Amino acid sequence: MSVPALEVLGVSKDFGRIIALRGVSFSVQSGEFVSILGRNGAGKTTLLNIVSGVSRPSEGEVKLFGTDPSDRENKAKLAVISHEMFLYGNLTALENLQYYSRIYNVPDSKERIEAVLNDVELTHRRFDLVATYSRGMTQRLTIARALLHEPSLLLLDEPFTGLDQHAIGMLIALLKMQKEMGRTIVLTTHDLHTAAELSDRYLVISKHKIVKDGLMSGTNPETIRENFFSAETGGIQS
Amino acid sequence: MMRTAISILKKDLRMEFRSKESILAMWIFSLLIFVIFNFTFEVSRLVMLEIAPGLLWVAFVFSGMFGLNQSFALEKENGNLRAMALMPVDGGQIYVGKFLSVTIIMLMFEALIFPIFIIFYDLHLSLGMFKLIPVILAGTIGFTSLGTILSAVAVHTRNQQILLSLLLWPLVSPIIIWSVTLSGMVLSGEVTEAFYPLLLRVGAFDVIFFTLSYMLFDFILED
Repeated sequence: MSVPALEVLGVSKDFGRIIALRGVSFSVQSGEFVSILGRNGAGKTTLLNIVSGVSRPSEGEVKLFGTDPSDRENKAKLAVISHEMFLYGNLTALENLQYYSRIYNVPDSKERIEAVLNDVELTHRRFDLVATYSRGMTQRLTIARALLHEPSLLLLDEPFTGLDQHAIGMLIALLKMQKEMGRTIVLTTHDLHTAAELSDRYLVISKHKIVKDGLMSGTNPETIRENFFSAETGGIQS
Repeated sequence: MMRTAISILKKDLRMEFRSKESILAMWIFSLLIFVIFNFTFEVSRLVMLEIAPGLLWVAFVFSGMFGLNQSFALEKENGNLRAMALMPVDGGQIYVGKFLSVTIIMLMFEALIFPIFIIFYDLHLSLGMFKLIPVILAGTIGFTSLGTILSAVAVHTRNQQILLSLLLWPLVSPIIIWSVTLSGMVLSGEVTEAFYPLLLRVGAFDVIFFTLSYMLFDFILED
C-alpha cells in the first residue's frame, strides 16, 4: 500500500490556556480531495498551519509523504492558498512570479510563468503592480503563484473569502483541473455546496476535534448540512 | 546555495528603489538631527570635533531603525512572512538575503548623508578620513546583523517598534560605542595604536552576531 500524502496522528495544539486542537487524527491518500468543514475558531487554520510545517503541534505527529512536514523536500511539494496573498503589492505580477520561481527553482520558469498567468487570465496585466489589482485579481494571482512549482499537495484555507462570482467560478474550475491532474487537495471552507461539488471526502471539525469523517460521493449539500449540525451537537459519527 | 539570498536581496532592493520609502525617511530624519544640533549649540570647532562622531552614529543608528522596522513590516504585509516559512529553503539563506538588503540600503543612506555631515560640521576632508570606511562598514554590519534577526522576532508582536528597540539597544551598544570611539579618532586625526585592535573587536562581534543569527533564523520563522 502506498504511503498516504498526509497523515495527522493524534495532533493537539494549545496556545497557553487556549486549546486549538485536541487529538485530531486522519489521513489523506494521494490524489484525494478532502474538505474540512467547521465554524470559525474550530481549529481549521491551526490544523493547516501544523500540516504545512509552519507551526509545531503540542502533541502528536504529522507526516507529509511519510516524513516530517518541515523537510525541505516536502515544502517543495506543498502549496498553500489562504486569505493571505503571499504577494508583494509593490512588485508587478510578473516580478512576483519570477521571485517565487527562483525560490522554488522552477525549471523552464519563463514558459511556466506564462502558462499560469494564462490559466488565471492575467497575462494582460502582468506588468502592473499588484497593489493596483482588485481583490479577485489578486486572489487569481495567488492561485497562479501557488501552482507555479506544480505542487503535489495543495492546502487551501478558506480560499473563496471575499471573491466575486467570476473569481469563485475560476477557482473552482482550476481546482477541478488540479484534481484531474491527480494532485492531493485539502480544503477548509464554510461553503458546503462548493465542498460537495469538489470533494471526495469531508471532515467536520468541531470544538477542536474531528467529529465526522464521511465520503462525499452521492451526498448532497443538505445531507452534509444535516450531518454537520448533528455531528456538532451529537457526537462522533463515521 | 546563495540563490535564495540573492533573490530576496534583488526583490527588496527593487521594492526600495521603487518606493524609496526607507532611504527617504532615513535621510530626512538624519538631516533633522544635523540641523537641530548644528543650530542649537554654538560651540567651538574643538568641541564640535568631540561631539561630531556621536552625532554621526546617532543619525546612523536611529535612522537605521526605520530600515530595520520596514524590512520585515513589508514581509508581514499580505502574509509574506508565512510564505517565507513555507519556502523549501534553509532559514539562514532568508536571513542572509534580508541582512544584505538592510545593510546595502543603510550603507547607501550613509553614503548620501555623510557629505551633509561634513558640510554642516565644517570638517576637513583628508586622506586619513578613508579610515572611516572600515569603521562605518564594521559598525553598520554589527548593527544590521543583529537588527535583522531581532526585527524578525519583533514583527510577530503588536508593539514591533518598541520591542525591537528594547531588544536591540542593550545588545548592540558595545558596537556603537566602539564605532563612535573609532570615528572620533579618525575625525580628530588622532588615530592611535588602539585603533586597529578596537576595529578588530567590532569585526569579531560582527562575525559572532552574524553566525548566531544565521544558525537561529529557522526557529524565528516558525509560529
